[in-house]
Amino acid sequence: MSALLDLLLGIVTGIGGFVEVGSISTSAQAGAEFGFQLLWAVAVAAAMLALLTEMSGRLAVMSKRTIAAAVRERFGIHFQAVPLCAELVLDLLLLTAELGGAAIAVKLLTGIGFQWWVLPTGLLLWTTLWFSRFSIVEYGIGLLGLVTLSFVLAAWRLGPDTGDVARGFIPSLPSHDGVRYAFLAISIVGATVSPYLLNFYSSGTIEEDVTPDERWVNTATAYGGDVFGSVVSMGVLVTAAMVMQPLQIKIDSYEQAALMFVPAFGRWAVGLFAASLAIGCVGAALEISLNMGYMLSQIFGWSWSANKPRVENARFSCAFSFVLIAASALAVLGFDPLRLTMISVALTVVVMPLMVLPFLVLMNDTQFVKDQRNTVVGNAVLAALTVLGALMALVVIPLEILGG
Amino acid sequence: MRWQPLHRRAALLCLLAALSSSACARQDRRIEQHQQAFQSLSSSTRAILSAWLAGVTSGTYTATALEKTLALIEENRTALANNAALLVDPRGARLADAADHLSRLVALLIADVRAANAEAARNHLAALPLDRERR
Repeated sequence: MSALLDLLLGIVTGIGGFVEVGSISTSAQAGAEFGFQLLWAVAVAAAMLALLTEMSGRLAVMSKRTIAAAVRERFGIHFQAVPLCAELVLDLLLLTAELGGAAIAVKLLTGIGFQWWVLPTGLLLWTTLWFSRFSIVEYGIGLLGLVTLSFVLAAWRLGPDTGDVARGFIPSLPSHDGVRYAFLAISIVGATVSPYLLNFYSSGTIEEDVTPDERWVNTATAYGGDVFGSVVSMGVLVTAAMVMQPLQIKIDSYEQAALMFVPAFGRWAVGLFAASLAIGCVGAALEISLNMGYMLSQIFGWSWSANKPRVENARFSCAFSFVLIAASALAVLGFDPLRLTMISVALTVVVMPLMVLPFLVLMNDTQFVKDQRNTVVGNAVLAALTVLGALMALVVIPLEILGG
Repeated sequence: MRWQPLHRRAALLCLLAALSSSACARQDRRIEQHQQAFQSLSSSTRAILSAWLAGVTSGTYTATALEKTLALIEENRTALANNAALLVDPRGARLADAADHLSRLVALLIADVRAANAEAARNHLAALPLDRERR
């Protein structure tokens, strides 16, 4: 019964990791500019994320190590320095964008400049992290994240043609602006397969002390949660395609994006959009802050756990506090959160091979995963991801310049 | 085989023609991109205002969204104004004038929303340039 409850909550929590500033903005832009044509990219990205999260959970269950700790142990700190620095920079950018996104959500309701809301949001996040256990952070945000189902409800109320939606799952060439199409397809992958999710998921598996017998819960949570989350992302894309594309409005700001709820929800539109954006961003910001604390602690061998009193793992607590302060300071400077998001999702693609390649080795090392090594299919997917990631990394910077 | 002066001249002319045609295509693309950006912002303004006039969204949200739209218009206008080649082109010059008009109208609309003056907002909305719906 407890395992079933864990599974259900885990699936719901999938929204927390999936629906955040990156997936909302990339899916909304894709829908507004190319209709349903990029639905396939959301599906591919969701499948990639599901496979990777299942593997990271399996690694944690079998080795009792997180990805960061296992890479440190297997390859040494000299190897890890590069992916570590890359991920820290990326996470900091993403955290700044999430804080900005949450602050813009409050701005939509109050009309007061978003920079004024950055510090209160940062303080709220820090208080939540300081005084809550892991389960409260994870499940609390997951349950609150159910409000983002309003994107799915909006898409359903707008009544899209099912044939047109189904055709969106088949990759096709765009009728216009091929560079922008390619950039958005890659950005959707970058926004979905965020490196922080993998280490956060493996750290969560250890926090919850999942045993090898309960491995099925990990598998079902990874696949179920990602399917659930991807449905919300698809809801964003379909809603934007139904509302914004006919008006030929490209989404350049969250203020414009709020309009996509107007035909479906009328007077509730802006409030619901603001709530969805705020909760999605706050959830992701909590996960990113915790993950940065986890990662630094695991690499430098500090004591870490969101379930222990803060005084027992002071350096872990200082680490997540410091990154929150740094991201808040960056967000207060007034960087446009939407642009910051698009830059960080493009950079995610650039660093992806650095993250996936060591993972491929670890998932075949019996010292870590014992008899639960990757199957040929799993290895093929990881190898393909590494090659695809490297290719995407080569093209994403020119695309950022030409089509961003 | 050695190239005769005539061949060299022909090759040079072909190269120049190719380069100038590529430059023209790039300029056309830039003008088109700016035009699309302004049209999108103009359509946005109409959608934001229409929701307010229909009583669906609050004045606070409408003013906030229009302010952001104005900031984006100004950004695009600056990008257009910083490119002398685009401004020399008659299409670019017409676009710059329309963008200037759009910018002033959005500023007026913000004032209308703040004053809760729906009638004035309707009048200003009717004059919105670069709006596909209006055309």
